Amino acid sequence: MTGGNQYVVAAYAVIWFLVLAYVVMLGARTARVGRQVEAITRMLDRKAAESDPPEGDDG
Amino acid sequence: MPSSTTDHASRRVIGARAALIWGVIATVLVTVASVGVFLVAPEDADQGAIQRIFYFHVAIALVSLVAFAVACVAGILFLRTRKLRWDDVSVTAVRIGILFSVLVIITGSIWAKASWGTWWVWADPRLVTYLIVVLIYAAYFVLRSSVDDDRRLRFSAIYAIVGFVSVPLSFYSVRVAQSFVHPVVFTSGGANMPNSMLIWFLISLAAMLALFIALLEVELVGRRTERALRALTLRLESS
Amino acid sequence: MSTAVNRPRWTRQLAGLIRKDLRLELRTKETVVAMVLFAIVTLTIMQFGFGTRDDDLTRFTGGLMWVTLAFTAVLGVGRSYVAEREQRVLDGILVSPVPRIVLLAAKAIAIVIYMTITELVVIPVVGIFFVKGPYWDSIGWIALVALIANVCIALSGTLFSGLALFTRARDLILPVLFLPALVPVIIAGAGATHAVVGGPHDMSEYRGYCLFLVGYAILFLLVCIATYDAVFDD
Repeated sequence: MTGGNQYVVAAYAVIWFLVLAYVVMLGARTARVGRQVEAITRMLDRKAAESDPPEGDDG
Repeated sequence: MPSSTTDHASRRVIGARAALIWGVIATVLVTVASVGVFLVAPEDADQGAIQRIFYFHVAIALVSLVAFAVACVAGILFLRTRKLRWDDVSVTAVRIGILFSVLVIITGSIWAKASWGTWWVWADPRLVTYLIVVLIYAAYFVLRSSVDDDRRLRFSAIYAIVGFVSVPLSFYSVRVAQSFVHPVVFTSGGANMPNSMLIWFLISLAAMLALFIALLEVELVGRRTERALRALTLRLESS
Repeated sequence: MSTAVNRPRWTRQLAGLIRKDLRLELRTKETVVAMVLFAIVTLTIMQFGFGTRDDDLTRFTGGLMWVTLAFTAVLGVGRSYVAEREQRVLDGILVSPVPRIVLLAAKAIAIVIYMTITELVVIPVVGIFFVKGPYWDSIGWIALVALIANVCIALSGTLFSGLALFTRARDLILPVLFLPALVPVIIAGAGATHAVVGGPHDMSEYRGYCLFLVGYAILFLLVCIATYDAVFDD
């Protein structure tokens, strides 16, 4: 067994870390999309509340 | 521009199944490759443990070139068809290509430190070439962020093509310069690799390729979702 | 846009466009004078930038020359559409029936001319400033590699300045796009120069670099032809 193990570990750690960071970045984008969807849902709810008089609808 | 934004906004916009499948394949392959590289593959007689960097390092290097090739082809297809999906593929492939090239530089630099005691070796053509490649493709995003609308997509596509032409030129010029000054330092692996190592290298290569495709698909799903959402918002606001 | 153009008209348009550029330049002389001055200033800075009192930089001649020429090329290429940009001539040219490839060719030829004029000053100045030992017998070889490199610079430069023309912060974008693509030209130019001055005087090495530059020029010519339409397509 020769030395240099720490270099191998460092190299693979860097690979794992950067790929994970990239995936986290993708996840952050998905989260942003999720927030936008929530905003749209709220907007729709508000619209529905405004257009429908208090009685509401039935079936 | 307006014609192509909405043409596929309706049916089956997202199509996330491919991303899921490739995500699973990539996870399995990367796990198998990591286990193999660390636990199964034999120790290299000359280089010792640090040779284990080679498996992922070279695999990532090759796949980053594949990524830039994909970006170039997608760029050509975009200029031909003006379909937004090709711009999506092109920009995503460039982004992943840069990620992979940076990984090549960092792992190569660690290798240089382990074998020659310095972090950076100008005599090693691979490190130098990937540095130039990263500089070339980093400019892609500078260009992309400073043009608008229709031109942004067109110029990105053109630059993806030009960039991919510059890659072999840089590769070759660095190698030519190197071969006059020094013999090429490490072409390690290559033909004289025993089969027990070659098999793990090939699995690493497959793993990195699957990782590239998975990241590409995931990001494409994200882009399609964002676009569908924008279209939806517009429709709601106008209604 | 690709109307069938008969040959005499094609060449007449090209000559006309080049003449327009050169006449403008002759009147103001701003680009070439600035390029030459910039190159000489850069060469002077190089001497001090090395941080050494060592008087003999002969073995760095190739590098000094080509780093200087590359930066000067960025400057010159950045100016190549400036007249059109400032005087809104570009819109006129783009809607005129002149094929865009002719417009690009005119720009490329103008860049070759500006670079050649700059090199007429830079190459002797490099010899005077930096080379101890034989230089003037190899000057023909240096001129030859400079001419080939000018074609490379002009082809990639026209393409990148065409892209940068439409960007925000274009003066900042151009070097970022152009310099990485120029790295092979710098490597080959410096390598070829080093092969004949301050180096091993190895003609096969020199030939190798020149052939590489020819290959670079051909590749970028093909890319220019393939993409010029998309650059100006509005």
